[in-house]
Amino acid sequence: MDLNQPAGENYANPKTCFFHVLFKAGALAFYILSALFIDNFVIIFVVTVLLSALDFWVVKNVSGRILVGLRWWNEINDLGESVWKFECLDQESLARMNKKDSWLFWWTLYLAAVAWVVLGIFSLIRLQADYLLVIGVCLTLSIANIIGFTKCRKDAKKQIQQFASRTIASQFTSTIQSALSVV
Amino acid sequence: MSDNDTIPLHPSSQSDIDEIENLIHASVQSGPATVFPARPPSPPRASIPVSSSPFMPSNIPPHPPSTTQKPQAVPVPPPLPASSGNGRANMAASGFGSPPNTLTEPVLDTVKRDLSRIVSNLKLVVFPNPFREDPGKALRDWDLWGPFFFIVFLGLILSWSASVKKSEVFAVAFALLAAGAVILTLNVLLLGGHIIFFQSLSLLGYCLFPLDVGALICMLKDNVIVKVVVVCVTLAWSSWAAYPFMSSAVNPRRKALALYPVFLMYVSVGFLIIAID
Repeated sequence: MDLNQPAGENYANPKTCFFHVLFKAGALAFYILSALFIDNFVIIFVVTVLLSALDFWVVKNVSGRILVGLRWWNEINDLGESVWKFECLDQESLARMNKKDSWLFWWTLYLAAVAWVVLGIFSLIRLQADYLLVIGVCLTLSIANIIGFTKCRKDAKKQIQQFASRTIASQFTSTIQSALSVV
Repeated sequence: MSDNDTIPLHPSSQSDIDEIENLIHASVQSGPATVFPARPPSPPRASIPVSSSPFMPSNIPPHPPSTTQKPQAVPVPPPLPASSGNGRANMAASGFGSPPNTLTEPVLDTVKRDLSRIVSNLKLVVFPNPFREDPGKALRDWDLWGPFFFIVFLGLILSWSASVKKSEVFAVAFALLAAGAVILTLNVLLLGGHIIFFQSLSLLGYCLFPLDVGALICMLKDNVIVKVVVVCVTLAWSSWAAYPFMSSAVNPRRKALALYPVFLMYVSVGFLIIAID
């Protein structure tokens, strides 16, 4: 990744982007098409939910890391309390992230959730409780990822600001010190 | 403890102040996609203290102690592996001998880590282990993959064994197990117990493993007596597995109130297994 390459010209990680979109699109496509062609609810359920779960895993563990440099997870500490951990790359790397990659990442994340909501509304209108179950599961997974990454991004921004203010503070103090020592 | 060392300023501090101002302006702009102004070429011992590790782990708990500490102070600039955050998944993990550098590990490592976590959770929860430490503390690394597979597997087996209404059977089994796990967890929480929501979901899912095995056996052997025996055995096993975790989470006087619904749920699943025709 040279800094000379104008950002936004190409995807920096085409393979990852592909997988990021593949499972989401696969789950949605399978769900929509299968309602027309396949009569067996069990297969629809299992395949859709499996694709959704795989998509969740891929986004959380692979494309989140590689496309936007963020990671989130939950741990239980020694006191038995649940702690949400967020991780982000440092400033230089974040700045060097390909814009197109991160645009794709966030947009597909949100669009997929919206698509599931729309499909859910259709199911609701048709009063199909079992399809609502499928949609419920897929929606839960999408929303979990959205919330996780949004929190992670906010945390990253907070880190930047804290870092900057710490930088000023310490720089300010050392300026004063050196000024005083000169005098 | 400070791992951000400040190095005495070069007499021309004005340029540094400018640099800092740029940093601030850049940081209050939009998100992580902000492009920073190019750093002026400076010797590696830059006068601006920078973070010494390639990533900044952070946590948002209400209390201070953080379990992942930043590693040693390495001089700037951020070493090469930081750029591998952009690189392909196959790039080797960079270890500074530091706490898990999960941001830059290869994908296969992540897969292996998750799989081994599932196996170890299963062993911890379901199999008799006299050296098991305090059960309330086990299942610290909960994960929902194991429970997901077990519930789907059970649903599939029940659906396969059914001769009619296969789809309904599957949907009912899945919904029953999933909703049941959620409700049981809420039950414990409402009884004033201390248990973490996902940990409990994970636990109840893993305890389904014996019933999965029982259902598989019942599907293969169609004799009613065998079915009843197998289901009783696996039911007892499941309940035995769930007992220590649930009971340690609640007040001793409320133990029965917490455990009885769990037992009830497993009994109803057992009935489903026996009655499926």
